[in-house]
Amino acid sequence: MKKRFLYAALCLAIAATTSCSKVDNYAAPSATISGKTVDEATGETVQTEIGGGGTRVKLLEISYSSNPVPEYFQSKQDGTFNNTKVFPATYKVSVEGPFVPIVQTDNTGAVISDASQTITLKNTADLTFKVQPFLKVEWVGKPVVNADKSVTVQVKVTRGTTNPAYQQDITNINLYVSNTQYDGSNNYDPRYSNLVSYSGATGTALLGQTITITTTGGALPDQDVYFRVGARINAGLNEYNYSTPMTAN
Amino acid sequence: MKRYSLFILTIVLAAGMSACRKLNIPPTNIIQNPAVFSSSGGIQAYMARLYSELPIEDFRYSPDMGLNFFWIIKPTPATTGEALSRDQGGSSSENFGDWHWDVWGGNYSTIRDCNYFLETLPANAGNFTPDQVKQWTGEAYFVRAMTYFALVKRFGGVPLVTKTLQYSPGQDISDLKIPRASEQAIWDQISKDFDAAIANMPAVNSDYSDGSRANKYVAAAFKSRAMLYAGSVAKYNTITLFDASKNQLCGMPQSLAAGYFQQSYDAAKMLDGQYSLYLSAWSPTDKNAQYQNFVNLFSDPASKENIFVREYQYPNSVHGYDAYNVPRQLMGPNGYSSEVNPTLDFVEKFDGLPKNPDGTLKTLDASGHYLLFNNTMDIFANAEPRLRATVIFPGDVFKGQNIEIRRGIYTGPVAGGIAPLLPAGSKAQYPTANLVVSPNAGQTAYKLPDGTSMNPAGLSGVFTGDQTCAISGFSVRKWLNPNLPTSQVLENNETQTWIEMRYAEVLLNKAEAAVELASLGQTGSINTSDAFNIVNQIRSRAGADPLVGAATIDIVRAERRKELAFENKTYWDLRRWRIFNQEQNGTIYRILMPFYSAQAGKYFFDQRTDERNDVYTYDTRWYYEQIPGGAISKSPNLIQNPGY
Repeated sequence: MKKRFLYAALCLAIAATTSCSKVDNYAAPSATISGKTVDEATGETVQTEIGGGGTRVKLLEISYSSNPVPEYFQSKQDGTFNNTKVFPATYKVSVEGPFVPIVQTDNTGAVISDASQTITLKNTADLTFKVQPFLKVEWVGKPVVNADKSVTVQVKVTRGTTNPAYQQDITNINLYVSNTQYDGSNNYDPRYSNLVSYSGATGTALLGQTITITTTGGALPDQDVYFRVGARINAGLNEYNYSTPMTAN
Repeated sequence: MKRYSLFILTIVLAAGMSACRKLNIPPTNIIQNPAVFSSSGGIQAYMARLYSELPIEDFRYSPDMGLNFFWIIKPTPATTGEALSRDQGGSSSENFGDWHWDVWGGNYSTIRDCNYFLETLPANAGNFTPDQVKQWTGEAYFVRAMTYFALVKRFGGVPLVTKTLQYSPGQDISDLKIPRASEQAIWDQISKDFDAAIANMPAVNSDYSDGSRANKYVAAAFKSRAMLYAGSVAKYNTITLFDASKNQLCGMPQSLAAGYFQQSYDAAKMLDGQYSLYLSAWSPTDKNAQYQNFVNLFSDPASKENIFVREYQYPNSVHGYDAYNVPRQLMGPNGYSSEVNPTLDFVEKFDGLPKNPDGTLKTLDASGHYLLFNNTMDIFANAEPRLRATVIFPGDVFKGQNIEIRRGIYTGPVAGGIAPLLPAGSKAQYPTANLVVSPNAGQTAYKLPDGTSMNPAGLSGVFTGDQTCAISGFSVRKWLNPNLPTSQVLENNETQTWIEMRYAEVLLNKAEAAVELASLGQTGSINTSDAFNIVNQIRSRAGADPLVGAATIDIVRAERRKELAFENKTYWDLRRWRIFNQEQNGTIYRILMPFYSAQAGKYFFDQRTDERNDVYTYDTRWYYEQIPGGAISKSPNLIQNPGY
């Protein structure tokens, strides 16, 4: 009995030591793609939200296939991006987000413009994409704390493009309130945020004007609170353009 | 020991060498064509498989779990705004990941089963009568159309496969990596397959005439649904995707809308005179009879309104609808209950309720104090019978019990009226002063001023701690079996029939197609009074106020949402109308909380936003769902939908 147990143990030991010795011999992805998406008119980065509803970078590895499955990575909230785990290869790089698409097609699918950048990535690449955001949301002054501890902000929303295909009406101008700076349509406190939908041209009529928005739900809590205003038109995937996040004081 | 080993080895070797050499026999573990295609029993078995695979959103569907799943705790109505569920905290796309539903492989297996049947049956037609062959051929076309419909409404254009694909080992598989066809090509194939089904099938299915198997009119009814979907996509969709050869994989030219709406209208018209709205217990004057009639509609197997149903049978095919959805006080032994709690937003769509000018429920008097009621049912005294048959109000009777729903007891002063507990629109928690509440069903009774005792919350809630209760102030009634003893309210135990297609929907399809055609200037081939008449037919049966004025698209849509609520249809309607993202745009749904005032000895209602502050935001990308990564890995020619 004991002997059989020893044999079994020996077999197991042999099996354990002779398992596949071929380690993964492919070097880990080590190249870096970084850069930013900027408004071609102002040179400022295009604000976006974190997560799936914001700007993302699209990589087509054309050294692998002429028709590759695209890979994506998400931009940061401030419009910059950085991916340090990319395989060295030739990529066609573009960005997708709340701005006039880098690759534009007409209604039959024909490509009418393509501002993708093709790079041969060895170590690092730093890319700047100049785009036309659908909307620009700018602060007018700083958020003001009212007597009842609610907060009033003022913003100005303007169009970032004159492209006739992207002049849809404004559907939403929202003041988001959050206790982190990662403020946006997917991360806000619904008790205090003030969300306004517009139908027809009523939202569009606010273009260029100073818009005053006050938080809802009374007094804000005594803690760090970040404010951010998002606005959108019904174009593409209906994503928001944002102001920078700002605190009240 | 060694000798034995040699002996055994010899035997093993000898046995190995003398194995049968005739390998040229059909594999005995696979059922062969002759066994299936030589008797009607074989065909019935094949049909049983096709119909069980038929992708319809029934009792065993939820967006989170997909089709044919037993555990439905994130129910579809809790993703559409019809209801709230403690287990669903916001908008949702369907979940195709992990061990959830294999939407791609599953549907293509069904399509292969249809193609195989259509290719194999003709060679075996001699075994059957020509009528049998025709009907079964029609049924296979029907199932294929339904399956492509299930794919196209989720993904847009998908690979179009109308023949069985063959593979033999060593074969180059690049031919099998079929790229996506255009969305239009799929809708047109669906239309063609439904037409073939209509042409081949008789008016009554000769195998099963109870609506569980298709007939000519079943196919026509589903064609009207599918073509209405196609027309809506052509008209309202704004997401586009092209492949390199300019096939439009997502979206269709707007110019196609009228053609699809016309097909929907014509298909619906085929059912004129074949089915009728259920009116067995109905009376034009008695609201109670109208209510009972609408309740019975969902359980009467003789209903002439049932067009296509899915039947269940214990223990082979079962569901647990009641177990998940009964009011808390009727909870079954599994411990589930009240997963579907209708929102106030939904309830306010109906007639017969006291309302403010803005359409909200009237719960305050002119001076801004709460209206007081002797009983929680008083405010619903004149409610539309269809609503009462759809939703259990606080205080209504179900299974012989008073369904008690109460948020708490208000102990504060009542002189001069009770002011709202919270400022209008506030999303804050209720104040703790002057309120007695219960965190769970183990309640401590409160002593009222008159000396009697009362539990702070009702038997069905609202419990502030565990939420296993009517969190919206309402509980769902539609589909619940009023005759099921509480001991039998169990998961995987229930067998009431799911009505996937009923005549009311066909009528509403026709009305909507007519209004859409009129809006596109195509009035020549329709009866322009159809929509008005249909809405009034539906409203009359429902006991609702009749329509005066024109039947606009908004009126037809609203009627549809009321009539077909909790039937897993609204989810798809909101998608095809492309208004999901407008309705769920940072939305918090509203609830109605009944309170008892200890000092007044009366009830009042507070309407507010969902106490959990669950925000619904529908992502525009979801109109075209993400193609599962596994499908793209197998066939890299598949182009992913936009935004994923």
